[in-house]
Amino acid sequence: MAEHLLEIRNLHARVEGEVTDILRGVDLAIRHGEMHALMGPNGSGKSTLAKAIAGHPGYEVTSGEVLLDGENVLEMEPDERSRAGLFLAFQYPAEIPGVSISNFLRTAMSARLAEGEEMDIFAFQKRLMEKLEMLKVDPSFAARYVNDGFSGGEKKRNEILQLAMLEPRMAVMDETDSGLDIDALRIVSEGVNTIRETHDSMGVLLITHYKRILNYLRPDYVHVMLKGQIAHSGGPELADRLEEMGYDWLHEPEAETAAV
Amino acid sequence: MAEGTMTGDTRTDTESAPAAGADAIARGLASYVRSVYEPTLLTRLRREGWKTFVDTPMPTRKAEEWRYTDLSTLEPESYVPVTCEGERLPVERLPEPVREAMESDRDRAGVMVRHNGCLEHLRLDSALEAKGVVYAPLEEVADHRPDLLERFLFRSDVAPMEQKLWGLHAALLSGGYFLYVPAGVDVEHPVHAFRYLDQEGSVVSTHSLIVAEAGARVTCIDEYVSPDLERESLSLNGVEIFGADGATVSYLAVQQYGRGVKHFSMQHSNTGRDSTLNGFNVTLGADLARADVTSHLEGEGARSEMLALWFGDRNQHFDHHTLQHHEAPSAHSDLLYKGALTARSSSVFRGLIRVAEGAQLTDAYQTNRNLLLSPNASAVTLPNLEIGADDVRCSHGASVGQVDETMLFYLMSRGLTRKKAERLLVFGFFEEVLERIPGEGVRSRIRSSIETKIQAR
Repeated sequence: MAEHLLEIRNLHARVEGEVTDILRGVDLAIRHGEMHALMGPNGSGKSTLAKAIAGHPGYEVTSGEVLLDGENVLEMEPDERSRAGLFLAFQYPAEIPGVSISNFLRTAMSARLAEGEEMDIFAFQKRLMEKLEMLKVDPSFAARYVNDGFSGGEKKRNEILQLAMLEPRMAVMDETDSGLDIDALRIVSEGVNTIRETHDSMGVLLITHYKRILNYLRPDYVHVMLKGQIAHSGGPELADRLEEMGYDWLHEPEAETAAV
Repeated sequence: MAEGTMTGDTRTDTESAPAAGADAIARGLASYVRSVYEPTLLTRLRREGWKTFVDTPMPTRKAEEWRYTDLSTLEPESYVPVTCEGERLPVERLPEPVREAMESDRDRAGVMVRHNGCLEHLRLDSALEAKGVVYAPLEEVADHRPDLLERFLFRSDVAPMEQKLWGLHAALLSGGYFLYVPAGVDVEHPVHAFRYLDQEGSVVSTHSLIVAEAGARVTCIDEYVSPDLERESLSLNGVEIFGADGATVSYLAVQQYGRGVKHFSMQHSNTGRDSTLNGFNVTLGADLARADVTSHLEGEGARSEMLALWFGDRNQHFDHHTLQHHEAPSAHSDLLYKGALTARSSSVFRGLIRVAEGAQLTDAYQTNRNLLLSPNASAVTLPNLEIGADDVRCSHGASVGQVDETMLFYLMSRGLTRKKAERLLVFGFFEEVLERIPGEGVRSRIRSSIETKIQAR
């Protein structure tokens, strides 16, 4: 086991086909079981980082490394990254008409077994029902087509359902809180906390725009991203300070070092 | 047609046929007709069909209807009409689903099996028989109830460009059934026909005639099966559905021929006042499959749902032509045709919504979606509207596209390989058609055939 579960070293990335990097040297390290929050204004590169880690084909990594338990994931296809233990909870999950959630999840879980093997249907159903209950979702939810016609809240719940079913080693949650009302936010957050209780080695990188979700999820560290770099890192109290003062004070390079 | 030919004397039938290229088939047909006993009515229809075939020039690719499927290379005389002479195939050599249907009564109101056009098996629920339901070979009905048959058989309004093959189909008729459901009778389970073809280099011509009287309800399935053939065989097929006022007919055709078969299917549904037709076409087999599907909405308030799916691989060519003909006001039609293509396969969809003058308050939709799974596959889609009334709601949509990258990435980000993700997306693409297919057994067989095709790519 490597010291860090996820280690990002000097990562540069851009939108495929563009000439300028959005990520301009990101360094970040997360140990097993830790939760890190990544905050920052719109356009600072937070979502680009999430997509680059997951291997989105629309983004190109120009230099740097992303190591999952010491293994370079940048050389892996998106599906290999997933099977290696990475999970991205999407900000805008795709809608897939005609494919039910339960069919999709069972296929995803079977993909983790040896070639040709399928997840046992009874074990799968039992687990699925447990997780649906945890997220306070009606069992009929699993028969619906993946995100097809879902409300924003339903889509996010579906992401957390997948997280709960797949129990990855490292979860990147891209603005999971956006578009959620206060009840949904609480349920989704409680879901994440429950998963962390039973699966305590899981690392979480929580990307968020607002401090709101941090009332429910307590990160061990908070980072601020500005212009494609981690501009500032601190403990949970940093989130409070951002809430009070916004991001402007961080733009001064002097303040950046002085604040630590 | 000459008076003499109406007498049923089968010996003079083809001698007056024009010579041009038709001699060989004329001789073949004459010997075929002579070889079997046949009721007068069928012989007459056969002759009329033959005359139509001979009098109609073979459509060329200049005709819009035949632009993408070249009929000029079709040589009907190069195929031998199927006959019922010779040994019967032992039941255990028939494909599994056919045997299963012969041996089990479960979930079926009736079963008919034809092997190379010959009747192998026929059964109809006796309770339905007692209610007056008829499920019988055309020749039998022609003997006992010619009046009934005459009212419906080959009575559909066939478009000029379809006449040539329609005539040939009638002339070469080698087995068909008549399904008749009297007024008010509700047939709960499907009536299921299998047509198994394994005669090399043959031509088989089958007909399905379905009549549902007022308020009747029935579901009917036709399945076409063959092994891969070395010498090409030709399959001609006519379907006529008549739904009287308030009748509901569901019709499903599943074509799963092997290689070496050309299949031409001409389907006409005629729906009366407040009558409903749910039509399905599933095309998976044959080298070339052409379907001309016409829905004649004849009665006010008639409804027609037209669904189809196809999955082409190797160099299969599927060509679907549809017509939603709104002849009466306040009728509703909804067409959804979805095809996936891989390898070097190709498909054509050409659909027309035609609203007759006076067919006000028509509500008609037409959608064709094509999913290309290989850079060498190709699809042509030509939706069309022809509207002769002013107070109507009509729309059409068509697309040809590849697997959606956003969906693919989403699935792959959960650990599915590209292949598994694509498989799921293909099934997802078909699901809105698949889920509506009547009969769980046939639905799951269609799924597993699609699965086999996906795995083979």
